[in-house]
Amino acid sequence: MFAGEQAELGKPSDTMSSSATTAKRTSTVPPASAGPKPPVSFSSSVTIAELAVLTGTYPVAIGSETVIHPRARLESLGGSITIGRRCIIHERTKIGYMGTEGKVVLDEDDRAVVLGDYVTVEVGAVVEASGTIIGEGTVVGVGSRVGRGAVIGKYCTIAPQSEVPAGVTIPDHTVVYGENKQRTDRRGVAASMMKAQAQQITNLRTKIPSNPAKFQ
Amino acid sequence: MAPLSPYTYIQCPCSDAPSQARPSETPTRDIAADQDDDDRTFDPRAPRSNYSLYPLEYLLYCEDCHQIRCPRCVAEEIVTYYCPSCLFEVPSSNLKSEGNRCTRSCFQCPVCIGPLQVTSLETPPDPNLLAADNTSSGPSGPYILACAYCHWSSIEIGIKFDKPNGIYSQLQKLRNGGQTRLTAKERKDRRKEAMSTGSFASTHPSNPGSDDVLDVESQFENLRTFYSHQLSESTSAAPGLSMSDLGISSPSSLARLMNYYNVGSLDPSKKGLGNSRGRARLGTFREALDTEEGLQLAQLDESASISAFKASTLSDLTTTSQRLSQAESHLSNLVSPALHGSSRLTSTLRPIPVLLRTKRSKRCPVCRHIISKPEPKVASTRFRIRLVAGSYIPAVSIRPLRVPGVTPPPPPDGLLRPLVPAQYLLTFTNPLFEPVKVTLATPSTTPGRFASKVTVLCPQFEIDANTDVWDEALKSGSSETSRRRDEGSKAGGVAEVGKIWERGRNWVSIVVEVVPALIKTEGGEELKEDEDVLEIPMFIRIEWEADATGAEVGAAPGTGKEVREKRELAYWSALGIGRIGSLGQLG
Amino acid sequence: MSRRAPKGEYIETDTGNKVARKAILVGTQNITLGGKTVIQPEVMIRGDLSRSSASSGGSGSGNNTAISIGRYCFFSRGCCLRPPGRFYKGHFTHLPLRMGDHVFVGQNSVVQAATIGSHVHIGEGVVIGEMATIKDYTRILDGTVVPPYMTIPSFSIVAGRPARVIGEVPEGGHEAFELRELYKTVGNNVQPAPA
Repeated sequence: MFAGEQAELGKPSDTMSSSATTAKRTSTVPPASAGPKPPVSFSSSVTIAELAVLTGTYPVAIGSETVIHPRARLESLGGSITIGRRCIIHERTKIGYMGTEGKVVLDEDDRAVVLGDYVTVEVGAVVEASGTIIGEGTVVGVGSRVGRGAVIGKYCTIAPQSEVPAGVTIPDHTVVYGENKQRTDRRGVAASMMKAQAQQITNLRTKIPSNPAKFQ
Repeated sequence: MAPLSPYTYIQCPCSDAPSQARPSETPTRDIAADQDDDDRTFDPRAPRSNYSLYPLEYLLYCEDCHQIRCPRCVAEEIVTYYCPSCLFEVPSSNLKSEGNRCTRSCFQCPVCIGPLQVTSLETPPDPNLLAADNTSSGPSGPYILACAYCHWSSIEIGIKFDKPNGIYSQLQKLRNGGQTRLTAKERKDRRKEAMSTGSFASTHPSNPGSDDVLDVESQFENLRTFYSHQLSESTSAAPGLSMSDLGISSPSSLARLMNYYNVGSLDPSKKGLGNSRGRARLGTFREALDTEEGLQLAQLDESASISAFKASTLSDLTTTSQRLSQAESHLSNLVSPALHGSSRLTSTLRPIPVLLRTKRSKRCPVCRHIISKPEPKVASTRFRIRLVAGSYIPAVSIRPLRVPGVTPPPPPDGLLRPLVPAQYLLTFTNPLFEPVKVTLATPSTTPGRFASKVTVLCPQFEIDANTDVWDEALKSGSSETSRRRDEGSKAGGVAEVGKIWERGRNWVSIVVEVVPALIKTEGGEELKEDEDVLEIPMFIRIEWEADATGAEVGAAPGTGKEVREKRELAYWSALGIGRIGSLGQLG
Repeated sequence: MSRRAPKGEYIETDTGNKVARKAILVGTQNITLGGKTVIQPEVMIRGDLSRSSASSGGSGSGNNTAISIGRYCFFSRGCCLRPPGRFYKGHFTHLPLRMGDHVFVGQNSVVQAATIGSHVHIGEGVVIGEMATIKDYTRILDGTVVPPYMTIPSFSIVAGRPARVIGEVPEGGHEAFELRELYKTVGNNVQPAPA
């Protein structure tokens, strides 16, 4: 919590110069943000990398101790995005992706995507907008796609390169793996997984310089 | 339909009918037969061709026979056995006693075949425990096997381990659910006891079924011991045959064992009645009578499993592939009870010990010379001998010929247009340090139901030697090279008959013109698999001069070392050009 | 930086590395390139996830490599290299990703292995799980998911979700792993492709 605030104070700049985090040699990193800047409500202990991308018009809310890696992309163009506490959103993810049609159907609260607490979205995964809900402690694996309006229960695992079709409801403790196979996770390790997540976040916060001011 | 990237397959001579001396066999070439005026024309579509065509990189070359060798004809010898997971070498002596699976801690997930990790239950995500030293003050047991991919764990079958290493031997002592089972050694001890009291061989009362149900391995072990005992008793002239290793490993005694079955009655209840013939020849020999001897009555009462099925959902049942991988490993990985060799509920699954892998050397099937031999060490990727065909015969690459302004743009679907001539560039790259002469021959139409026309514009040419790049650089500017470069018809932009297209340091491109056939099926007839692929059979003959090898000094006696000898190699190949579209598709 | 922009798509270093200007290298001080390596645009390399955090210090600056890459490696557009994370003695830490020579990584693949040997070909859309070990002369086909901690021995052809060894690289297939020719086809002054 404290580390996040430090970083926030330490680097209030909103310059696009990426030389702080990338090499001088690789100088022309393309502009990280495009489109409108969404209204945000961050917890004070959020760690959000400067190279993260927030775009859209609906509000984006991020819970305490959540880590947003560089180049993660939150799109609130079609509805609000709510991310719970102690989530980890890895690089190149697309949260609130509008799909190829470019439009979404929202519920009465205009919610595009809701992620519960302790959710991990791994590298390159896509969570499409349209009232999509991901339950507590669920891991969306590398390169997976969660279709629009899908409702994923608590403590699920979506294995890398899997696809959850649009509108599908997945019960708690489900593992989606292989060629669209499902099974129930009977390990019963939710508590220790949450502990591990907290430790991982503590570690990541020392490595990812946070700059929430840039998005506020 | 997916377009097809061009390919070149080469036929290994081992499948040549004449060289195999099988006169009775006349391969039926259904419709293709009428296309082949010459009986020797190779048909890449013939059913047998599937087994003789290989990409160049799969082929080896025997320097003594001067012939191509393929994976199907070489003789393999195992150099090293190792576990592909922990990369430990397994001595071949262990293999006999322990089987062909890793006996350390390497397992595959019975659900998804992913690798399993030994994990402490105290702090589950801690993978540190893979290390063998559990003496540190790190997390302690109990330990489980867990799959990091589908999150299966041995908890689901009720199995936990006390130690993080030697999982294989720990697992052997555990049934699903956690009860211990007798190990082979314990069984042996038991049997010894029984033997010493003299109750073993023939005095057992026939009370099968009174004992508990055995798992497959115990039953096998019991049966084996029983028959070994029977054998050693019936043949007094069997010195040196010990109880434990008699029989199964030696083919002669196995043959004798089979012989008993041919002679005697199989029914143990008729022992002493109908077995007189057998007894006359062999003395007393009977079948197993109870569990201790390996008799296992079929459990016809399946009400237990039926009620288990009733209580389970679809996800509790195993898939065919899961059952298969269980069955493959069942001897080293006990499933209990046997359930006719298959486990139907996921609760009966067992972790699959990792199958060992081998490093193999390869011999020429004709002259028995080694043509490939890897370093025996697991970690090494070097080869002591590696005679690959790619360093002896030219590589052929195929690509469409596109001359800007002359060739129409390629169709977007990447398919060949029927009846429209198309030109392709074949590039031959010479790996030898001598120049080679290449002669090509193709039938004028491709074999098969749909005959496409094929014309090789330049069927005979020479490729320069594969000299050092630097030699070439130093030589550049010499009139000879530039003259040869002009020789190609690329400069003109139009492919000419009898002329190569382009020439490089050690390669030559030539043009092949094809007129794809019209793919038309009559009635409801379906196209056979890949029948719309335009594949050209091509006979390639290469000639070059090489230093006479030492092995052939005898052939040219009395001459010095500077003798050059003519070499020749000829083989069939199949060039896949592309898929032919239909007229309808192309509008 | 914009003053020098018209130079070319790639930055070529003294050791012959060709790094696209549009590649995203985070924490470059923790990334070592052996030379003659090509990094295409939109490749992401996470050097910032090093073993110990920069702020905690004390471990010395030289020993903080997060990703080390050998010679003649080729990283295709959109792929991502990141050090694997794991729990060691109850604490989460990142371990370095070590890569040998002549490693090809296809488009949009994500590599989180601990060790990748030399002469390894990784296809498109492949996911290499954390702490996986991939030995020399291995070919990983498109779309494969290699589970965490998996070890893949030399001369394997691997495919599937989860990955399994489906074949062996033949003796004649070793040369196909060489990336010297591919190296020459990329950069600012590309040589004409050989015929």
